[in-house]
Parts: sequence; C-alpha cells; structure tokens
Amino acid sequence: MTINPTYLAQRTRSSTSWNDAKRRVLHSYRHWLRAAPEIQSMYTINLPVSTLRTKIRQEFERHRYVNQLKTVDVLLFHSHQEFQETLNFWKQLSHVLKYFRAEEDPKAKLPSNFINGFLEGRN
Amino acid sequence: MAALPRSIASRLAPAVLRPSAARAFVPAYRTYATNTDDPAPKTSSEDAPVVKQTTDSTQIREQSAAEGTPRKPDYNVAIDYRTSNFSPIPKRVMDGSEPGESVAAAVLSGAPIDLQARTVRIYKPTKAATQSGDWHSHHWLMDWDPLPKGHRWENPLMGWQSSADFMNGHRIQFKSKEDAIAFANKQGYEYFVQEPNERRFVPKAYANNFTHSFKKLKIIRTK
Repeated sequence: MTINPTYLAQRTRSSTSWNDAKRRVLHSYRHWLRAAPEIQSMYTINLPVSTLRTKIRQEFERHRYVNQLKTVDVLLFHSHQEFQETLNFWKQLSHVLKYFRAEEDPKAKLPSNFINGFLEGRN
Repeated sequence: MAALPRSIASRLAPAVLRPSAARAFVPAYRTYATNTDDPAPKTSSEDAPVVKQTTDSTQIREQSAAEGTPRKPDYNVAIDYRTSNFSPIPKRVMDGSEPGESVAAAVLSGAPIDLQARTVRIYKPTKAATQSGDWHSHHWLMDWDPLPKGHRWENPLMGWQSSADFMNGHRIQFKSKEDAIAFANKQGYEYFVQEPNERRFVPKAYANNFTHSFKKLKIIRTK
C-alpha cells in the first residue's frame, strides 16, 4: 500500500550549486509571503500582515551572508520545516509568537549603549 | 480544494493543497536548475557588516595586546525569544559568513543568542593536592563564566538560591585542547584557554648522595 506523505511534505535534497540554492531560497521566500495572510487568520494574530511579512524578511536577511552551500541547505530545510508546521496547524499561537518577542514586548531588548548596560549590570 | 493531477510530483510540490497557494501557478513537474555556472552574487561575505576576522577563532588571548584588542559589544543584535533582563550583550553573533572550513553550528543549531555572548573557559582540571594520583588531569574541560547579574538571588518565599544562569552547572569534557577550541569556534563562543600548571618533578636517586665530588662536601654523610 502506498504511503501518502503529509500535506506540504518535501523530499530531502541538496542544492547542486549556488544558483540552485538561490532559486530554492527565493521560492521558499515567496511561499512564506503568500502564506502570511493565512497564518494571520489561522492563529488569529493581532498583528497586521505587513508585520508578518517584515518578520519573514528579517529572518531571511539574517542569513544573507552565509558562504557555505551545506549551511544554506540546512537553513532551507529549517525554513520548509517551519512552513509545514505552521500551515498544517501543528503549531500553537505561542509557537508562532516566539518570532515576535520584540514587537510584543518593546522593553525586552538589549541596552542601547554602554552606560545603560553598565547601569543595568549586564555588560 | 482544487482538483489535482494524480502524479507523484504534484503530491510533493510544496503548498499545492493550500487555498492560498491554489491561486498560484504550480508546474506539473519539478524543475531543477541545470545552469551550473555561478554568476557573481550581488552580495558576498565581504559585505557582511561585521568586523572581519583575521584568524579562525573568535578570540585568542594568547596574542599580544596590540593584536588581540577585545571587540566591543554589539548592541544592535537581533534578540530572540529567550533574551531576558540578565542576558549579556554579544560581541559577535555568528551569521555564517566566517571564513574557514568549520560548520557554522551557531547559525543552524537554534541555540540562544545569549550563549554566544558568554565567555567560555577551557582548562585542565588540577591534580588533587592530597593524593599523588592524576586520574582527573587527562582531559580538558569547558566551563561557562558566571553572569555578572542574575546568576544568584534569594527566593523570596523560602530563601532558596534562585538563578537565571542556565549554564551554571554545565561542563563539557574534551580529550584535547584543540578539540575544545574547535568546538568553541564552531559554536561561536568567545573563549580563553587557561594553560595547566604542570608539576615540576626532580628525579632523585639516593645513591647520588655518595658520588664522588671534586669540591668540598657540603654535607658529610659518613663519620
């Protein structure tokens, strides 16, 4: 009997070249952007869709300067893993809001300069 | 749900079955990039807005004072959901653009950013002074420096010791110093190596008290 994969399952593969990796990254990014309104309605997030898309952009930009193809492969796997878990409703609101700590709690940030850090005691 | 062609490729194509993606164009077969030449990317590792490393390690205290000037803390690092009021400020957060062959494990592991902010001590445990056996001094340990604030306070209810320092009791054992340094580099930890104090042992022989000496004897052992 055939084994049916879960929705949004993807076969594991490695990128053949930087060109291939770039293509996969852009496709992954576009899938995330398209899914942003649905994520907002599924998890009833009280943030506008533009905030979700900005966060998606931030997470992708964080790894812009990676210089090893294997690292990019693993990051693509993580991205698709999060995508599948989010859109299949396997997550809960708190898991999605892990990404929005800075938006939810503006006071939870690192001190802005040395003096503030010294006064808080964490330099 | 849109009607789907019954082929394996469609089942495996991502986001096919979601209503939001049904509006998008889905190819019936998976295409692979066959263009194997790599055009020069528009951004490269040199554009990364961090201090360039000249060596593989994040910090070497064995350099001279002029070379090894400590990096300033970076206040603009993106925080993650584990950052607390006690989190130290990282000097450099690994982002995969470091030169060298080691895997950028800090980028992939999902570990808290705080771990890359804390300094790690690599040392050899000292031999017990009370006994002459040295069974504990054949491995190297990696130990986390305590937090400047939040490593201990008194619980208001019972007076127990509370702590926000989750690396308090952690030590990692390594077979050699190079292994420990490679691990710290891979994980993006700032480290310093504490060289062990080797005991100086002078081999002695009782018969040397009675060897012939051309000079006057300091201690005369026979009557």
